[in-house]
Amino acid sequence: MTNRFLLSLLSAAALAVPGVALADENLFGYNTGAETLPKGSGEIYVFNTLRSDKGQGTYRAVDTEIEGEYGVTDRITLSAAASFLSIDSNGLLIDGYLPKPIDKGPRFSGLEMKAKFNVLSPALDDFGLAIITSAEVKRLDPHSGQKKTEYEARVTLAGQKYLMQGQLIWVGNLGLKAGHETRKAIANLPEGFDWPTDPEMEIELSAGTGLSYRVAPNWFVGAETQYASEYETEVGQERWSWFAGPTIHYGGEKFWATLTWFPQIKGGGETYPGQTGHLHLVEKTKNEYRLKIGMNF
Amino acid sequence: MAQMKWSHVIALPVLATVSAPVSATEYLSVADAQRVLIPQAQNFVPFTVTLSPAQLAQIKKMSGVPQHNAQPKIWRAMNGKATIGWIIVDEVIGKHEFITYATAISPDGHVLGVEIMSYRESKGGQVRDPKWRNVFRGKSVQDQFKLNKDVPNISGATLSCRNITDGVKRLLVLHALALGRQS
Repeated sequence: MTNRFLLSLLSAAALAVPGVALADENLFGYNTGAETLPKGSGEIYVFNTLRSDKGQGTYRAVDTEIEGEYGVTDRITLSAAASFLSIDSNGLLIDGYLPKPIDKGPRFSGLEMKAKFNVLSPALDDFGLAIITSAEVKRLDPHSGQKKTEYEARVTLAGQKYLMQGQLIWVGNLGLKAGHETRKAIANLPEGFDWPTDPEMEIELSAGTGLSYRVAPNWFVGAETQYASEYETEVGQERWSWFAGPTIHYGGEKFWATLTWFPQIKGGGETYPGQTGHLHLVEKTKNEYRLKIGMNF
Repeated sequence: MAQMKWSHVIALPVLATVSAPVSATEYLSVADAQRVLIPQAQNFVPFTVTLSPAQLAQIKKMSGVPQHNAQPKIWRAMNGKATIGWIIVDEVIGKHEFITYATAISPDGHVLGVEIMSYRESKGGQVRDPKWRNVFRGKSVQDQFKLNKDVPNISGATLSCRNITDGVKRLLVLHALALGRQS
């Protein structure tokens, strides 16, 4: 898989920046705040997430998301995003999850529409609260890179609190995701290899929180964490994972960037044969790195 | 993929930042702000005061926000030998950068005016609008300073509005505790 596409995306985002230092509220990689854009203003983001290491073999996947946001009113922000997947996996097969080695991408993987409703403003009401709803359609399985059709709906409650006049910022998220997926059949799989193509339903509950401190004008350093638990109708809780790590954010007048390292601290549930340690590695990885670059207009 | 050079990816935002000149958003110098706020003053005399821990605690108690600088930047506006007002230059936190502003206070503790000296945020430049700043004129330490009620809010700059509003209230308390008797 070539890295030219990814680098060209990032370069375009960086080169498009006017010659000024900039700003925004995306202080974290995985948790989100409660603020919305002012009416009539917009932002363009490029998110890149590298997921790597399943404990055996080689596994690297890059999710690239290009998103545009627009403030419809002072309290409602709408956004649309296109996502792309690059994946390189070999040396590990997991029955039902990783059916064959793959080195492909970037490939178009899905579209997402999102609406964020601000209920309470963190600067105005002392405590901020927003409801975020989204609908997504995917054409690729993000874990194996194989073809599938998935419809996903998500709702997130986002809380935010300014402390020390805004020097320290706390956010907390509670999320519920429901997905309906149908995998496409794969030819020439080893005999007995499980790759169900019947429609499946999955629900994920997540909770996350983060703290970010302004260490210098424009620069924020923080830490965030996220717990996610996946459920399937037939087996109940299938897997869970707990990620936590540091994040650094730079924000100026027109451009901002956030970099997060998100290692998996602990996990449980289903494992693959021969797996060591207590992590959820069937679908997740040991490490995630996320770089967000955004531009205000 | 194996050859992906992530150092390049990480370096991009840093390079973009380093290569981007800082925007020139210093709207007023101290001297400019002094002349705009109290034009009838003949001169402005620097006034040195060191706030005691008790005064700092009292400022926080009365204004609701801490006074971080025990030696605030203060000038006495003079007309002949008479003190006709005070200029205090202060900083508050904006979304990402500090906002520098000057507040003029009359000897009897009323706001004569507020000037934004520097503002670097991406949104909410309307805090420089005289219509918004004039809301503070005439206010004293006895008045209410609730944002979006006593002082209008500006969408996209709520944190800036809140911190400037709290800042003006804090400076009025500072004046009452440390400057009132000097007038």
